[in-house]
Amino acid sequence: MGDLLTVENLTISFRTDEGLITPVQDVSFSVQKGRTLGLVGESGSGKSVSTKAVMRLLPGSAVIAPDTRMHYTAKDGQRVEVEKLDPRSRAIRRLRGGEIGMIFQEPMASFSPVYTIGNQMIEAIRLHREPNKRQAREIAIAMLERVGLSDPATRIDQYPHEMSGGMRQRAMIALALSAGPALLIADEPTTALDVTIQAQVLDLMRELQRDLGMGMIFITHDLGVIAQIAQDVAVMYLGTIVERGPTAEVIRDPKHPYTQGLLAAIPSLDRLNARMTPVPGDIPSPTERPTGCPFHTRCVHAIAGLCSARTPREIAPEPGRAVRCWLHDEAGRSAA
Amino acid sequence: MLRFTAERFVGMIVTMLLVSLMVFIIMELPPGDYADRYAFRKYSGTGVSVTEADIQAIRVELGLDKPMLLRYFDWIGNIVLHGDFGQAFAFETSVTKVIGDKALLTTAILFGTLIITYLVSIPIGIYAAVKRASFADYGLTTFSYLGLALPNFLLALILLYFANRWFNADIGGLFSAEMKDAPWSLAKAGDLIAHLWLPAIVLAWSAVAYQLQTVRATMSDELNKLSVTAARARGVPETKLLIKYPARLAINPVVSTIGFDVNRIFSELPIVAVVLGLTELGELLLRAYLDLDMYVAGAILLLLTFMIVFMNFISDILLAWLDPRIKLGG
Amino acid sequence: MTDTAKPDRDEAQRLRYYSASQWTLIWWRFRRHRAAMVAATILGIMALMGVFAEVVAPYGPTSRNASYLDGPPQLPMFCDRQGCSIRPFVHGIKTERDPITLRAISVPDPETRVYVSFLARGEQVRLFGVIPTDIHLFGLDHDKARLHLWGTDDLGRDVFSRTIYATRTSLSIGVMGVLISFVLALIIGGTAGYAGGRVDGGIQRVTEVVRVVPIIPLYMGLAAAMPPEWSTTQVYFAMTLILGLFGWPTLARRIRSQLLSIRNEDYVVAARLAGARPSRIIGQHMLPSFTSFIIVDLVISFPYMILSETALSFVGLGLRPPSVSWGVMLQQAQSVRVIEQTPWLFIPAGFVVVAVLAFTVIGDGLRDAADPYSEAR
Ligand SMILES: Nc1ncnc2c1ncn2[C@@H]1O[C@H](COP(=O)(O)OP(=O)(O)O)[C@@H](O)[C@H]1O
Ligand SMILES: [Mg+2]
Repeated sequence: MGDLLTVENLTISFRTDEGLITPVQDVSFSVQKGRTLGLVGESGSGKSVSTKAVMRLLPGSAVIAPDTRMHYTAKDGQRVEVEKLDPRSRAIRRLRGGEIGMIFQEPMASFSPVYTIGNQMIEAIRLHREPNKRQAREIAIAMLERVGLSDPATRIDQYPHEMSGGMRQRAMIALALSAGPALLIADEPTTALDVTIQAQVLDLMRELQRDLGMGMIFITHDLGVIAQIAQDVAVMYLGTIVERGPTAEVIRDPKHPYTQGLLAAIPSLDRLNARMTPVPGDIPSPTERPTGCPFHTRCVHAIAGLCSARTPREIAPEPGRAVRCWLHDEAGRSAA
Repeated sequence: MLRFTAERFVGMIVTMLLVSLMVFIIMELPPGDYADRYAFRKYSGTGVSVTEADIQAIRVELGLDKPMLLRYFDWIGNIVLHGDFGQAFAFETSVTKVIGDKALLTTAILFGTLIITYLVSIPIGIYAAVKRASFADYGLTTFSYLGLALPNFLLALILLYFANRWFNADIGGLFSAEMKDAPWSLAKAGDLIAHLWLPAIVLAWSAVAYQLQTVRATMSDELNKLSVTAARARGVPETKLLIKYPARLAINPVVSTIGFDVNRIFSELPIVAVVLGLTELGELLLRAYLDLDMYVAGAILLLLTFMIVFMNFISDILLAWLDPRIKLGG
Repeated sequence: MTDTAKPDRDEAQRLRYYSASQWTLIWWRFRRHRAAMVAATILGIMALMGVFAEVVAPYGPTSRNASYLDGPPQLPMFCDRQGCSIRPFVHGIKTERDPITLRAISVPDPETRVYVSFLARGEQVRLFGVIPTDIHLFGLDHDKARLHLWGTDDLGRDVFSRTIYATRTSLSIGVMGVLISFVLALIIGGTAGYAGGRVDGGIQRVTEVVRVVPIIPLYMGLAAAMPPEWSTTQVYFAMTLILGLFGWPTLARRIRSQLLSIRNEDYVVAARLAGARPSRIIGQHMLPSFTSFIIVDLVISFPYMILSETALSFVGLGLRPPSVSWGVMLQQAQSVRVIEQTPWLFIPAGFVVVAVLAFTVIGDGLRDAADPYSEAR
């Protein structure tokens, strides 16, 4: 299966009052058709910003570094060089929604409160799939039914505030899927929900992904959720991906100390929702990014004099795996 | 919606009743009573000397000897039941006659002003928010500060001055000289509109300044909402996106403050009328106050306030219609 | 009873400590707001000029110069055709006939120089109405000649001096009006917010009624009721009362809603259970938590007072001559003719604009300083 999306050397900076900050540095990952990539990391590690960059949704104060490459293969087989598109162009608008759909953490805030669910769905469908209004409505109703809303013909004319949190999140999924994207980016879609609903929504997304044959990027701060939904995983820390590979293998044999810490902190099943600091110590603010390996300030295995001074490169300890850590880079270590 | 409307309607009537009581109290405030002033006005300069008994007779004749509350009910009863606002002694005719089509002119000025206010402040406020922190934005912010600080009569004078210089036109007043006393016709209405723009701009000035800030602030808030990013992520074209999502919500606070705008406009009306030589209720109100013609003054104050209360009611209904989150039950 | 009084005092102490550090923070943030600091400085200068009006103004507010009616401003200069001097001077005045109208008019006489001196001796005045002095900030070296920095009006009164005295009147009316409406707002909003329930409902209705009547016509109605025989002092106090009487609704609303939102907080309930009087609970425990908001509201209500006073006096329903306020002065500037012939009579309008702008900017700066996370409004 070919790559749906490949991101290479993604680096994002923001011009702020305190000067230039770079919350995402040299990030590479790829998503295959029909597979789910889990993007995991503590809050503030740059997960949302990275995926927004793929949609070119970053605010005007953001700068994407020139050597960044983001290639997307459209449904018709065309290769799109996303980093070269003008964020206001027609080409990027075709991509947004029609090729890549996005779901956000807060379902209430993602809907405009003054339009019905149907209004916003039909708008998306007519933009990308079916200009006919009546047929677009049919598609919308079918989609609401597909995500498990009872009585979709009534629901479609309801306002977001008339629905419960779980229903709204389902409607949000339906909204993102209604335009028929080949890739779905789900940014912490279950974080705001309570445990039982969280499990239901997770099931639903897994099922939809499989049935529709979509690629998916699933963002979460919880490795436990990743284990349930993603075939591949990328672990992010302070704007860099420290480890990636097939989920099963990474969980069985984590290489990076940070991944190990995250794994050790997976809550047991009855405490799925509990949030905990996986690794002792606080995450540094992006304005005070540590030199060298960003994790060295919290790493118990840090090599004195090396980790704090030099940034580790990404190496492949095994085929299909990648890790950024001096502990696994003997060649680099001896060179240094 | 029906129940909501009915509830607001009842609220409006109650407010109007309380307002009328307050207006009546103000009418009663000036020293001496109506009979004194009536007698003074009627006989001053005629050489007839008025005795206390004469005044007492007038008082009885006009029913002024009754207790205040009773007089209030007489007054408001006549207004509600017969549309009779009492006597305008300075004009020796009924208040209703004096006010007559000045009320119509005032309404024309009001709506002219409101239209200008919203046509200017909404698009420009939205523009300033979208171009946030740009040169245009700072310019507009400065303008709106100035708009709030410049007394309207000063603005009126400045505009008059420039209009005189540039167009060499007599643009004061509401009609040109030859139309002033003509009966109503299409030509006269056209003449009115040709004269209306100056008072409307003057009166709209501070309302624009104020609403500009409101629209800009709400629009800035709305632009940062997740729902806007979400719509953008669905590929909605930028212009349509701005109009459909943030701008649509940015007009809600404007709609909810229509009543305030009317209030501000009526508040400034008498002052602007002096400078621009307008012949509508504001000017008449000022003259009535200066002459202590309190029945006229009271009637005008009441009409202006009723108009504000009514516009508040309209604004409530409009808002409920615009914003589905408003609970129609309460 | 002695047990319960103790936590009461601790509470107050804790609050005082807390609010002290809060004030320092606000002051720090306010100082960073450059526009607000500039506005505060300008306003400070205005206020000082008003306070020391007798000394700052070279002449009394009603003192006339019959030989210089409707005279244009005289700008002190250092050089003229005869050469330059270190001391600033103005040219003398001579009377000529207008070639067209044949009216007698005053024109500057470039042949004579009158020098400006600082801390000059001039009219005998009483500073603050008590301290006698004849020293003025500046004046002319010459006994007869007068320096009219901003020209004169149709009666030959010095516009500069009158503006200075007017600044005193207008600002002080603003202060008094704001204070009166503050006290009313405190009582009305405090009662509504503390009592809640039906009392609150009733007060809300009344507030609604007061808010809905257009304010200037309302003020006009009250001002019209002032007996014509009242003295200027009586009129002055009546004006402050009128302006204060209806300025309260906005502030009362704020106090009410803030009180309602904290009336069930633990420390308020504790004080109530301890048997403290309502006025004490409101004053000692509840108000301090939002004093900064009240101050912001007070500052931004100044412009309304100043603009209302100006408007009322402008149309002849406010202060009456010989009182002098910005509005009273502008009464002479009601027509386009004035712009063309004696535009300096509009100088007081500049003061109105600057004062209103300054209060608005300071209000914004204070609001940002008190609540850095709120957007404008
Ligand atoms: N508009 C912005 N301006 C400046 N910095 C930003 C902006 N958006 C995000 N950031 C920075 O990017 C970092 C990563 O944010 P985010 O991607 O939202 O983290 P995550 O989704 O992993 O929790 C944040 O810590 C913040 O400092
Ligand atoms: Mg995030």
